[in-house]
Amino acid sequence: MKDAIQLRKLILTAGFILLFLLSGLDFYHSRHLKEPVVVGEGIAEVKRLSDYFPGIKGSINDAQVYLLRNDQAEVEGGSALILGGSHAEEPAGRLATWVIVENAKVTAGRVFVILTANPSASTATRLGGAYPPDYTIETPWGERKFRQGDRWSNPLDQWPDPEVYIHYPSRQQLAYMDIRNQNRTWPGRRSGTMTEQTCYAMTQMIIKEKIDLVIDLHEAELQYPVISTIVAHPKGEDLAALASMMISAEEDFDIGVEYSPEALRGLSHREIGDHTPAIPLLLETPEPFLDATRGRTDRELLLTGKDDFVMKAGKHGLLFEKLDESGWPIDVRVGRHLSSLIQIFRVWTELYPERQIKIENVPHYSEVIATGTGFYLKDPSKAPAERIFYE
Amino acid sequence: MSPTLSAIIILIVMVLAYVLAKVFKVSTELSLFLAAVAGALVGGYGLPVRHLAEGAITYLDICLIFLTATLFMNLLKAAGGVAFAVRSILKKFHGQKFILFLLLVLLLLIPGALTGAGSVTVLITGSLVAVVLKYTGLSDLRVAAIIFLIAGLSAAAPPVSLWAMLTAAGINMPYVGFFLPLLLPCLIGSLLTIFILGWKAKPVNLEKALEEIPSPPEKMSWWRLLLPFLVFLALVIAGRVFPFNFPILGLPLIFALSAGVTVASSPVKINVWKTSLQTAEQLLPLVGTLTCVGILVQIMTLTGVRGLISVSVVTLPVAAVIASLFLTLPFSEAVLMWGAAPVLGVPLALLFNTRGLDPVVALAGMSLIWPLGDALPPTAIIGRLTVDTVGVKENYSKFLKACLVPAIIIALMGTLMVIFSKKLSFLTIF
Repeated sequence: MKDAIQLRKLILTAGFILLFLLSGLDFYHSRHLKEPVVVGEGIAEVKRLSDYFPGIKGSINDAQVYLLRNDQAEVEGGSALILGGSHAEEPAGRLATWVIVENAKVTAGRVFVILTANPSASTATRLGGAYPPDYTIETPWGERKFRQGDRWSNPLDQWPDPEVYIHYPSRQQLAYMDIRNQNRTWPGRRSGTMTEQTCYAMTQMIIKEKIDLVIDLHEAELQYPVISTIVAHPKGEDLAALASMMISAEEDFDIGVEYSPEALRGLSHREIGDHTPAIPLLLETPEPFLDATRGRTDRELLLTGKDDFVMKAGKHGLLFEKLDESGWPIDVRVGRHLSSLIQIFRVWTELYPERQIKIENVPHYSEVIATGTGFYLKDPSKAPAERIFYE
Repeated sequence: MSPTLSAIIILIVMVLAYVLAKVFKVSTELSLFLAAVAGALVGGYGLPVRHLAEGAITYLDICLIFLTATLFMNLLKAAGGVAFAVRSILKKFHGQKFILFLLLVLLLLIPGALTGAGSVTVLITGSLVAVVLKYTGLSDLRVAAIIFLIAGLSAAAPPVSLWAMLTAAGINMPYVGFFLPLLLPCLIGSLLTIFILGWKAKPVNLEKALEEIPSPPEKMSWWRLLLPFLVFLALVIAGRVFPFNFPILGLPLIFALSAGVTVASSPVKINVWKTSLQTAEQLLPLVGTLTCVGILVQIMTLTGVRGLISVSVVTLPVAAVIASLFLTLPFSEAVLMWGAAPVLGVPLALLFNTRGLDPVVALAGMSLIWPLGDALPPTAIIGRLTVDTVGVKENYSKFLKACLVPAIIIALMGTLMVIFSKKLSFLTIF
């Protein structure tokens, strides 16, 4: 009897060690997956957040900052910052920034782009969420693989959480794990946690680079009321409203406008506006993959946005955005972000000609739908080494 | 095959695998694990090691809290602190039932309210209160029911209510305005529970009781007993009052530090190694269940079974959803524990919001009902913990029966809060 128990323990221990090793290897590969960025001709410089706040140097969140600048431009113009990957699990924002960095040029002003605003969050997947570790985008020359990521910073980089998260500086109480949520830790804290320090570094960058406009790219579940919209700080209400009208008139989709509530603290659209001279806007596209009622959680759902269960919830009036058999494919979501950016910069330049920002070579929504996102991603194997960076 | 049919088949296979494992007398935790593996296999995922591992650590933090908090309590017991406290409370208040009950409710509410975990209440003050209540002539079953129900309400009570926080976070709603909608019903529910279940309590026969309670070491005193609790409270409060200057310790470390103080202030030498091993052994089933529940939730999400359950619940008519909250919330808690908040709480809160109810009060009402599920199988984590802590010898179903009347009242209070949430929205002032 005792021998049988010993044998059972031995088998279970061996099984656990095997499971530990195999899953460990999987997690290691996901965390260290290199995502190439083939920077386009418009990129004048690649900086790091630690250039603005040395306290973050050496941290996984010392994110790369790509600067689009035209040294031959006749007009100095204004400055903008585009954030992708504040929530790494929302891929349309990251992919849109990839397309910009690999293709865009500016003819006036400067555009700073961060592809992965919370790199730590891009290295984890949600516990209990059954996310795939990565996904691939088809291109004319092959595939590009991207990390899936999570909403929160990886606990391997920031742990433990407090029993309740008290936001700085408002002291508003938030859910404990939101201390690792980059869109709850603005404006950041110099001596704070890694996630707070990342926001602090970005706030310093906004101030030191005299950035006028910050656009934070997100995606939302369809059961979340703030969706398919531009969320604007009071300082940016006119800009957002005019951009929304332009998008509806000139692009093939509509986008709403919401105003940043004062009671909701820690979000980019509130705190950047309150703590820096910049105007923050936050863009949301629909991502059925994030819905709590979703069915099978896999790469297909992530990229096609097709889900019968979420559709059923929609038929019962539980969604704030339509969902039919065509789903919400990734190209639609990336295209919406890109066209929204184009129109926001156009309106900005009309409203503030002395601080104009002109950007070109960014595909419109209809072009992304026609050709696919992958069409705008460059082949790293054919690019000169000095133009390749890794996220 | 349609996604619905596929998810139904996987769900049936998971349930069958669980039942079959139980028939072969496999433990609850391994049965949950086997159900998850069966689900993954039928779902076409083979043996998804990444998902098994990721699911297994979903509740790692909670497991660490359980382990360190229980070690703290066991060390306190070994130091003679528990016996000292019980004797002192009995000597002072043995003849004043009303005051005694009020004090006991406060003692039970504080740890869970501060940490958001009913298990902490059971472990920290539950065992002390249980001894006192037993000497009032109440049966072990009633004592366990009182401690379990108030521990559940303590977890729902402000400032930290994990169900409300997780759901609010899921719909990007600030965790603001919840204090009174959570505090008032938790207080009322706790008082009703102790007075309903304890109405037969008799004045304690002090002499007899003191004879039965082991004598604490001679040098045990109030300061030796309270010092570890004061350290615990000081560390928690320091994190709240000076959040930007005080390091984030996390509850497991705070409990471990309190345990260290217990050892340092003990009048007798404690065998820490032996107590640690006993604690690990004591909590092995609990930690095992939590680990396997995490795996189960992960596989349910992976295969679409979680979505099937969520969408089936939220697409019922609103009246039916509200009327069935007393079933769906405890049941989801029993299967998913806190995972019930993001899985079911988020769509329900959104449903109520779109139907014009006040989301804060409605969510507070739901938060009252959720903890009732902590006594239900397959997990029954807090229920089992309470029964073990109190030392109930009877069948577990009798414990559930003892909980029934106050549980119905609590569920009714929660449901009425959802229905009349709009009228109660004046409570959401801070």
